[in-house]
Amino acid sequence: MTSTSSRPVAETVQPERAAATARRLSLLNVAFELRAFIALAVLIVVFSVLSDSFLTVPNLITMTKHVAINAVIALGMLLVILKGGIDLSVGSIVGLSGVVAGELLGGLNLGFADLIAYPPVWVVIVLCMGVGALVGLVNGILVTRFKVAPFIATLGMLYVARGLALLISNGATYPNLAGDPELGNTGFGLLGSGRPLGLPTSIWIMIALAAVVALLLTKSPFGRWLYATGGNERAAELSGVPIRRVKTVVYVISGACAAIAGLIIASELTSAAPQAGETYELNAIAAVVIGGAALSGGRGTVRGTLVGAFVIGFLADGLVILGVSTFWQILIKGAVIILAVMLDQGQQRLKRRGAAASAVAATRQPDRPHQQ
Amino acid sequence: MYAPFLRQGRRRGLVLALSLLVGGSLMTACGSSGEPAATTQAGQSPASSAGTAGGLIAIITPSHDNPFFKAEADAAKAKAEELGYETSVASHDDDPNKQSELIDAAISRSAKAIILDNAGADASIGPVRKATDAGVPVFLIDREINATGIAKAQIVSNNSQGAQLAAQAFVEAMGSKGNYVELVGKESDTNASVRSKGFADVISQYPDMKSVARESANWDQQEAFTKMETIIQKNRDIQGVIAGNDTMALGAVAALKAAGLLDKVVVVGFDGSPDAIAAIKAGEMHATALQPAALAATSAVEQADEFIKTGKVSKDEKQSIDCELVTKDNADEFGVFARK
Repeated sequence: MTSTSSRPVAETVQPERAAATARRLSLLNVAFELRAFIALAVLIVVFSVLSDSFLTVPNLITMTKHVAINAVIALGMLLVILKGGIDLSVGSIVGLSGVVAGELLGGLNLGFADLIAYPPVWVVIVLCMGVGALVGLVNGILVTRFKVAPFIATLGMLYVARGLALLISNGATYPNLAGDPELGNTGFGLLGSGRPLGLPTSIWIMIALAAVVALLLTKSPFGRWLYATGGNERAAELSGVPIRRVKTVVYVISGACAAIAGLIIASELTSAAPQAGETYELNAIAAVVIGGAALSGGRGTVRGTLVGAFVIGFLADGLVILGVSTFWQILIKGAVIILAVMLDQGQQRLKRRGAAASAVAATRQPDRPHQQ
Repeated sequence: MYAPFLRQGRRRGLVLALSLLVGGSLMTACGSSGEPAATTQAGQSPASSAGTAGGLIAIITPSHDNPFFKAEADAAKAKAEELGYETSVASHDDDPNKQSELIDAAISRSAKAIILDNAGADASIGPVRKATDAGVPVFLIDREINATGIAKAQIVSNNSQGAQLAAQAFVEAMGSKGNYVELVGKESDTNASVRSKGFADVISQYPDMKSVARESANWDQQEAFTKMETIIQKNRDIQGVIAGNDTMALGAVAALKAAGLLDKVVVVGFDGSPDAIAAIKAGEMHATALQPAALAATSAVEQADEFIKTGKVSKDEKQSIDCELVTKDNADEFGVFARK
């Protein structure tokens, strides 16, 4: 995340003074790095003071459960944003995945021989994630092969996926996803209402997914490629990063993550509506941005994104507990997002100055090429 | 916020993106006006159809992803075809601009009448007047406009009466006392406030009924679920939930079920959606006020038919159709937004 020191430097500053400036700025930087945590802490303190029922274990669990849905989508979105892209189709994938689950649990008409297949729940889950990944793959192909700008490609798929969900369901809601013991397809409800080891399944899914994405970003070559592609696509390509593959894979992962979120929602409600997940893409983008990622790519962390999702979720639930009017809830959410991005701009200015200073202070080292 | 696409293609990317956006919106405009969603009787061209059948009736409603509007459009279409008309069914998706284009299309196809569930009480006055001036009578269903004397009829379900009906059943089921939660619809929507007021008119007469939370869940199931879960965290001592529509009521049911409270809490909704009726049969919801969407739609088509044939309307412009209370006792008598 602090790989910005490789940026070209035009300024010439006296080395000793520059070193001092760099130290001072790096302290400020730490404060900025923590700003999302600080925001979260402030929220928790304020709501705890204003209401007795905010800081209780059951409420924290409930709120975290609400956060988990957005966090799961945001983790996928983080990868896309790290690449310098954006994925607007995730909200529609949430709806599509729920509808596909509804269709499959209600029985898959195989057409021939009057056979209706009732796939077990794990098959349904895998197939739904496959559908999400497939939409992501289309996004990826549009962006890499056909050079459609990510904004446009995923905006298009936002409508396509929503349209598909409405077509499959004919506009109706699938009312009962509980399954039938005789058909052996029960247990879908556990995804939303199960509580292994005392915590809702969705929280475990969020934790597991966050761990996987964090490992992917920090320990795998893919992670290095992704940061490199987002930081400077041309340079990454010249140093041998398979940027097409990297760019396609992030959309596939994002689609699969959104599908998981859709499954959680459908399971919680034990019903699936084709309209589910409308505008969720914006919540996910907001979480990633509050978490300090740059929309231009190359900068962002799993930790930040999770904290961003917690800020948005705790804010929403806290305002409900306080009984604040809906209109104020919307306005306050917007203000928090803007504030976070403004802080981010400030941090970037500091960083550029800090980088300039430290680059002058240090004797320049030859650039290390990426190794494969 | 959506800066990335500027980054990649720079200026040319921006121009391309903008032209795509503009092109896209033009295409949807052409698509929706030139070829309404489900024209029946392929092979009949619009120009010749006026002579062969009874003429064209254009049915324009909000998005069919809501089963209510689908039921309404389906009922109007079936009735019009039964009476020998050609139909075109289209959705304005609550976009006044798209509605205006659809009305233009109906005028240019010399429709005999327009059945319209409009896209806004004020924004729709102009388009309705435009059609009337062009000699195409407009029959409004489900939602009123803030003007009279332009449309031939405004047939709406009586939201206030329905809300009072639902609230009465709610109070009775709660034994006239206890803590309750109200889930309100989208607060910018007139129906949300009319229903909420109807609830209050009845409930306020019972001093032992105490409101512990009143939240908007924007007509949305997932949002109702999340907000209900949060409300339960604040206060588990809840005996009733009354919701501005069935979708939100079902979201509350899911949250109450997860918290193990459902058997102690009375849940009442509004609309009479098939899912809610199923929940009532299963004992998860207590009651809902059914809006007879199909009845309003067929009635509008009958009045249009009368006007086309005689040039007169026999009923008042403003007509309201009473909602019906659905409980476990009579749930079997109802189908999709209508009595069976």
